[in-house]
Amino acid sequence: MTAMKKSNPVMKALTSSSRIIVLIALVLIFSLATKGVFFSYKNLVNILYSVSLIGIMVCGASFAVLLGGIDRTVSGNAALSGAIIAMTILNRGATGGNVALALILGLGGGALSGLIHGLILSRFNIPAFLLTLATNEILYGLVQMVTGNLLIYIKGCTLMDYIGQVRWLGIPIPVFIMLVCILFAYIVLNHTVYGRQVYAVGGNREASELSGIPTRRVILIAYIISGFMGALAGFVLSSMNQQASASQANGYENNVLAAIVVGGVSMRGGSGSIQNAILGVFLIGVIENGMNLMGVPSIYKDMVKGIIIIVAVAMDMANQPGTPLNNLKRRLKTKQA
Amino acid sequence: MSEKNELLFEMKNIEKIFAHVHALDHVNFDVRKGEVHALLGENGAGKSTLIKILTGVYSKDGGQIFMNGEEIEINSREDASEAGIAVIFQELSLVPTLTVYQNILLGKEISKFGIVSDKAEKAQIQELIDRYGFPLKTTDVVETLSVAQKQMVEILKALATDSRLIIMDEPTASLSSRESELLYKIINQLRDRGVSIIYISHRLEEVFNLSDRITILRDGKNVGVIEKEDIVPSEVVKMMIGKELSESTASRELSTSDAETALEVRNLTHIGYYNDVSFEVKKGEVLVLTGLVGSGRTEVVRSIYGADPYDSGEILLNGQVYKPTVKRSVANGFGLIPEDRRTQGFSPLLSVTKNVSLTSYDKIAKGGFVNAKDEDDLGEKAVHLTDLRPANPNVQVGDLSGGNQQKAVLGKWLTRDLKVILIDEPTVGIDIGAKDEIYNIIEELASQGVAVLMVSSDIAEVLRVAHRIIVMREGRIIKEFNHGVATQEDILLTSSGFVSEEEAA
Repeated sequence: MTAMKKSNPVMKALTSSSRIIVLIALVLIFSLATKGVFFSYKNLVNILYSVSLIGIMVCGASFAVLLGGIDRTVSGNAALSGAIIAMTILNRGATGGNVALALILGLGGGALSGLIHGLILSRFNIPAFLLTLATNEILYGLVQMVTGNLLIYIKGCTLMDYIGQVRWLGIPIPVFIMLVCILFAYIVLNHTVYGRQVYAVGGNREASELSGIPTRRVILIAYIISGFMGALAGFVLSSMNQQASASQANGYENNVLAAIVVGGVSMRGGSGSIQNAILGVFLIGVIENGMNLMGVPSIYKDMVKGIIIIVAVAMDMANQPGTPLNNLKRRLKTKQA
Repeated sequence: MSEKNELLFEMKNIEKIFAHVHALDHVNFDVRKGEVHALLGENGAGKSTLIKILTGVYSKDGGQIFMNGEEIEINSREDASEAGIAVIFQELSLVPTLTVYQNILLGKEISKFGIVSDKAEKAQIQELIDRYGFPLKTTDVVETLSVAQKQMVEILKALATDSRLIIMDEPTASLSSRESELLYKIINQLRDRGVSIIYISHRLEEVFNLSDRITILRDGKNVGVIEKEDIVPSEVVKMMIGKELSESTASRELSTSDAETALEVRNLTHIGYYNDVSFEVKKGEVLVLTGLVGSGRTEVVRSIYGADPYDSGEILLNGQVYKPTVKRSVANGFGLIPEDRRTQGFSPLLSVTKNVSLTSYDKIAKGGFVNAKDEDDLGEKAVHLTDLRPANPNVQVGDLSGGNQQKAVLGKWLTRDLKVILIDEPTVGIDIGAKDEIYNIIEELASQGVAVLMVSSDIAEVLRVAHRIIVMREGRIIKEFNHGVATQEDILLTSSGFVSEEEAA
């Protein structure tokens, strides 16, 4: 792996990022404000645990956003996979073979959902936002059909109990699953031909097409990855809760998007990194946790989250030539100089 | 003075200087009432600068403008439209989702207390349409109209504000010949009603038929004003090109090579785009397709590359029938420098290296993983081969100058084992120094045995790089300049419709 040795550019990207500075500042502020409770090992693990599901989803949905699309079905895919896995185990028993079947059906369902979205979005000029807004509703409808709108308890499944309850070094397993997903997305985006093609197609689809890149396939695969990651998050969520419900993960798609935007991935596609998207996940997670510890009422928490997203979008706009914010930024820069 | 010769508009000693260069050098220009006055000149002669001054986009650096004998100042578009000057833009400026009457009255709605009266608006526009007999309905949604109809809406928009001077910039560039005929009728009708028109077109034939007078600009100077009855086409062309050009740049000795044929096209037809196109390109040869914009050149090239389909005919590569797809073309040693580098040539956010690599992952990756060192080497190689500046392969292509952006696009292909390169208008919007470097690259490629098929509208460029020249018009090959001497005049006359197909053949 020549890739791993080259930590230099990675470090450069991290240190040059304003997000990491903001993150460190927030950690300091919250640690002081909570008299160190925030910075305790237990609380830091809590934060990791609380962001793990969103983190897994971000690892998939970032592919769609980098291509200039969006995937709002991450939550629907999670709910559907959780429901399929729970129902399969409920109906057939929790033997090893059946759990494997349940996993294949559940995760395969997410990949299939992604395949369908990818086929439509790569072939027809439909805005991804509208399509996935609609199909996410359809997915939740399917979940109600599968579960009969009941809460399905999962009992006796060793694998899911393990994921939901066991800790390594005091750290819950879902955190490790998130780390594997981050590593996967990082390697694919930075070191594979496919990753290069994602950035190219997101930046200029026509130029990529004329360079001989199979642009449709690139888009198709991105949505399959996103669908699969959504389904994986659903499986992890069901393992944490030992149950599946018809409204499982509902609304997570907004948190996923918020994290990606706060992470500075351009909604126009072609620019951004998985490292920064994950930083976005942590920024939001840290702020939520910190405000919780400080006892900030939840209405204010939501407002703060909203403001952070607006700031992130404004920063994105300021980097886009031709926008009023960009002009302002340049004027300020020349004044300084 | 008879009423017909009464002046409506006059520009005296107009000057415009860009970075110490006289874009307009004491230009005089006037338009009579009810006159169609054509403005001729090659690209860069100063036509657009003059139009931009009289529509308030640029401010003049010297001179005076008169309307009906009164001196006026035009410092903004509003000033221009207040003076009764309207432009029919090449790229139409209509709101596609609104109806005809809503577009015409945009910003001038008939309303009381903020409530728009649709009835009054429709009646007013209906009356206007009836007066000129345009085939339009007030309630048609603009995006459902043909280009010609949209142009009519633009014209009505100008008339609705009582414009006395309408500027038409290449109005027939995207019209069919039948639609163009209709436009000529409309222009004559406007003239009969006393509206003056400034007409700009590369199609000399229509200019000579339509205009009452023509003014010729060259290098920012007015080099002649000619009344209709005194027009001699070949003289006009000479005035446009100028005499101070040296013989070697104004003409070129063409020669056919006896090398092997690399690419051949037989009776290629894409209905509605081009018809029965046949030619061959030999190894090491530069064949240029020239003609006016919209003559079908780009479409032929895109079909050969596999980016667009074709209906009939064949393409042969090294004597073998070749059915192109983009992927197959890339694998077979084709390269494409597309017409619009910004939208088709590169990814602006990516570095030079990553843009260049796009075509070469078959070489620099194994098992789906990119070899970072090979990738960096490829970027360095592209920078070296094209003499790209700054000589840093990690710069985002979007941050480069136009010429260097084009070099990055060239780099995508130069780093591969090229057999045939298709180059479409490679130097549009590129400064002279970089142009020259790009010509050198093209010549270097040809000398290495690459077959070059190039599309260009810039006649000086055509004569600089071509071994052979094919002139296309309205989707057909009109004339091939095979060997012997071709001059700017020959090409200009052929492409602008002065040499008919029969004469050329």
